[in-house]
Amino acid sequence: MKNFPILARFKNPSTAAALALTAAIMLVPANLLPVLSTETSGHNRSDTIFSGTVELWRQGLWVLAIIVFTASIIIPVLKLVGLGWLLLNARRGAAVDSRRLTRIYAVLDFIGRWSMLDVFLAAFLTGLVQFGEFSTVVARGGIVAFAAAVVLTVLATRAFDPRILWRTASPS
Amino acid sequence: MDSQARLACHLCGQEHRPIHLEPGEKAVCVRCEAVLAQGTRLGPDTALVFSITGLIFSLPAALLPFISAGKLGDERISFLFTGVWSLWDGGMGPLAFLVFLCGGLLPFALLATLAVLHASSRLGWQNDDLRFLFRVARVLQHWAIPEVQVLAILVALMKLGSLVEVTIGPGFWCYCAMALSLLIAQHSFDFDSANQVPSTNGSDAAASH
Repeated sequence: MKNFPILARFKNPSTAAALALTAAIMLVPANLLPVLSTETSGHNRSDTIFSGTVELWRQGLWVLAIIVFTASIIIPVLKLVGLGWLLLNARRGAAVDSRRLTRIYAVLDFIGRWSMLDVFLAAFLTGLVQFGEFSTVVARGGIVAFAAAVVLTVLATRAFDPRILWRTASPS
Repeated sequence: MDSQARLACHLCGQEHRPIHLEPGEKAVCVRCEAVLAQGTRLGPDTALVFSITGLIFSLPAALLPFISAGKLGDERISFLFTGVWSLWDGGMGPLAFLVFLCGGLLPFALLATLAVLHASSRLGWQNDDLRFLFRVARVLQHWAIPEVQVLAILVALMKLGSLVEVTIGPGFWCYCAMALSLLIAQHSFDFDSANQVPSTNGSDAAASH
């Protein structure tokens, strides 16, 4: 990290833990506040992430419900839990299963991006569904909190340096 | 001994001596077994070709109609950045900016970076600026996520399909082509361009099919 001294300082377990904790806190308003408001012919409804998924399921769009549920609820939670577990292991300095932990990190790193799905979805729907009084979609505060949580989770994953899992292992 | 010439595993930091990969071969880190690089089946210039293809597709993707939706005779055409504008107008500036970055600007920037990197290695240039660009590409790849936007739009289309009449415009196909080109360009990164100086030190990366 010779070219990016700031990045080198950014990559440490305390930064990762702080970012992950902030992300976890942000997930609370993200899940409690409405993310989208839909108005169709005078009928108004606001959806949270969860109620939006339930609505998809109720409409019989099971595949979509599963995709959105996985991207918006399972992945953020799994990522934070996984990161917390890696941080605990790194702290303990136990390098017995470094290989497995590194693989878990790689998986967490890969799946993280898919939780941006709901943010893109909200942006796309607000852009497209603007039919005056017949039908409009408006993004609400919850999606901002959700986007913040996702960005913080990605930053937390970046701040975690998997090399610390190998620190006690003998350098070959 | 030039320590810069070794390829460090992006996960565990283990250093390797770059080796030549046959098509379809994977180089695996000797310590953590992460895939370091994969020999492309499509020829040595795959990454260069696909990053340029992606750059070419990104222009019509940004300018041509994406999706049009009709309801009760009212038709609305959306473009790549229509959602960004709507969010911006709705007072959600930071969110609009995030969507603009992850779905528009950064994929373009990553394609441009990859194109420059591979073109330079093709021409045999090597200097510190290229190493810097290589790191830029490593950072960008976490934030350039057009494939996620493609999935989001497909989900939205299936959701809207029952309520309004939706038509997919050429802009969306170009965007899909751009996203696919970026994925191929990213995954055809080989040792020769990742690390341009052959080294004499460090352990060999294990190669397997």
